[in-house]
Amino acid sequence: MKAPGILKTMLILFLVNYLESFTAPSLLKIYVAVPLTFIVFSALAYRSSQNINPFYALSIGLFVDLISNSLFGLNAILFCLISYVINSYSNTFKLFSYLQVCIFFGAASVFFTGLSNLFLAIENFSYIILFVSFFFNTSLCFLVALSPLNKLSIDKRLSQYD
Amino acid sequence: MARVAPNSGSKALYFLCILSGATLLYLDITYKSFDNIKNIYISTTISSKYLLKKITFDPFIYLYEISSSKSQLINENKTLQAALDESYLENFIVSRGDKFFMDEEALTKMMGKYEIDEVFHSSKIKLFDTAKYFCCDTHMMYLEVISSSDINFTGSAVINSEGIVGQVISDNGVKEVLLLTDTSHYIPLETEGYFCNAKGSGKPGIVSCRYSSLIWTNPVSNGQKLYSSGLGGIYPRGILIGHVQGITSIDETNIKIDINLIADPIKHSMLGIIEK
Repeated sequence: MKAPGILKTMLILFLVNYLESFTAPSLLKIYVAVPLTFIVFSALAYRSSQNINPFYALSIGLFVDLISNSLFGLNAILFCLISYVINSYSNTFKLFSYLQVCIFFGAASVFFTGLSNLFLAIENFSYIILFVSFFFNTSLCFLVALSPLNKLSIDKRLSQYD
Repeated sequence: MARVAPNSGSKALYFLCILSGATLLYLDITYKSFDNIKNIYISTTISSKYLLKKITFDPFIYLYEISSSKSQLINENKTLQAALDESYLENFIVSRGDKFFMDEEALTKMMGKYEIDEVFHSSKIKLFDTAKYFCCDTHMMYLEVISSSDINFTGSAVINSEGIVGQVISDNGVKEVLLLTDTSHYIPLETEGYFCNAKGSGKPGIVSCRYSSLIWTNPVSNGQKLYSSGLGGIYPRGILIGHVQGITSIDETNIKIDINLIADPIKHSMLGIIEK
């Protein structure tokens, strides 16, 4: 799978961010924080067959900062970091099981949530939220990984090598 | 194709980007340097939403509001018309209280009619063949009582806000009303102490009465008022029924008078049925 074009990615992230603005307040009531935008960007970087350009990650991060009305540079740094980690371990991930990869993404999303809370609303920083979110996000990623949609996507990708 | 791990050049670029991000973050936290950009974005979003809503949804909402307000106005108009007709009926009865009621106490009871049995029952016209009313001898009307009631109204007088229009001859849920002008209908009338049985003429608004000049010694004149006599027990006594419109001599002693009725049954859709 090629890295999606910048406009396509921006559109996807815009829609996901819009969805997140609805889901986040409800989920926070049960101590769950799901950074959907971050997870989707991570998934796009993970599924890409090419390395993500750091400027691409930076500009996408700045765009997300703008649309989510958060501090300028916060998402940009985190998107750069996650794309660097994914690029670095892209080959290593192939040795891992789905569960291990999902745990990685769960942990990454918790890191994102924790860091965002430190900058945006330190009084709302809560270990309970981070702990519950870790399990929730890992489960969510695992469910997506096992979903028929993902399998379809893999089959399509493998068919390119036939 | 396998992805290549970042080399030192890529790592330097990543470091540069992260550093740039950190700088921007520092500037935003310390100096709020990007507030203008954020505000422009927010205002653009709000304006776009407003514009999009105005172009897409608002025309439909406007059309819906117009149609609903119109039907609401029509319904309100109908309700008000019904209430007005009902109040006219009440006024008609109240202003003739001494004729409809035996004493003052009964009138007082009527005024508090919602606490006692209703004196008259408001009803709507269910069916009225006006073409038949204007062309033929049979003048019938079908009414439906608005509030549900188990009372059988057969033999009850039917009034509108102008006066008596007829009587109920059959009650099978829908009340069949024989109008005063039907040729099979008779109403006992009196004027200046003389009595006659006015028969429906089959013409709209006209009933006719025959009398003998040997009995009625006083001459009848055009415009003379005739009242219900109360005989027969169907209609209350002393209600103005109509005025003399035409006087015809049948022979030397018998005279026929045409009476123009006060109450027009086609004028009002709301009528009252007097509870017997």
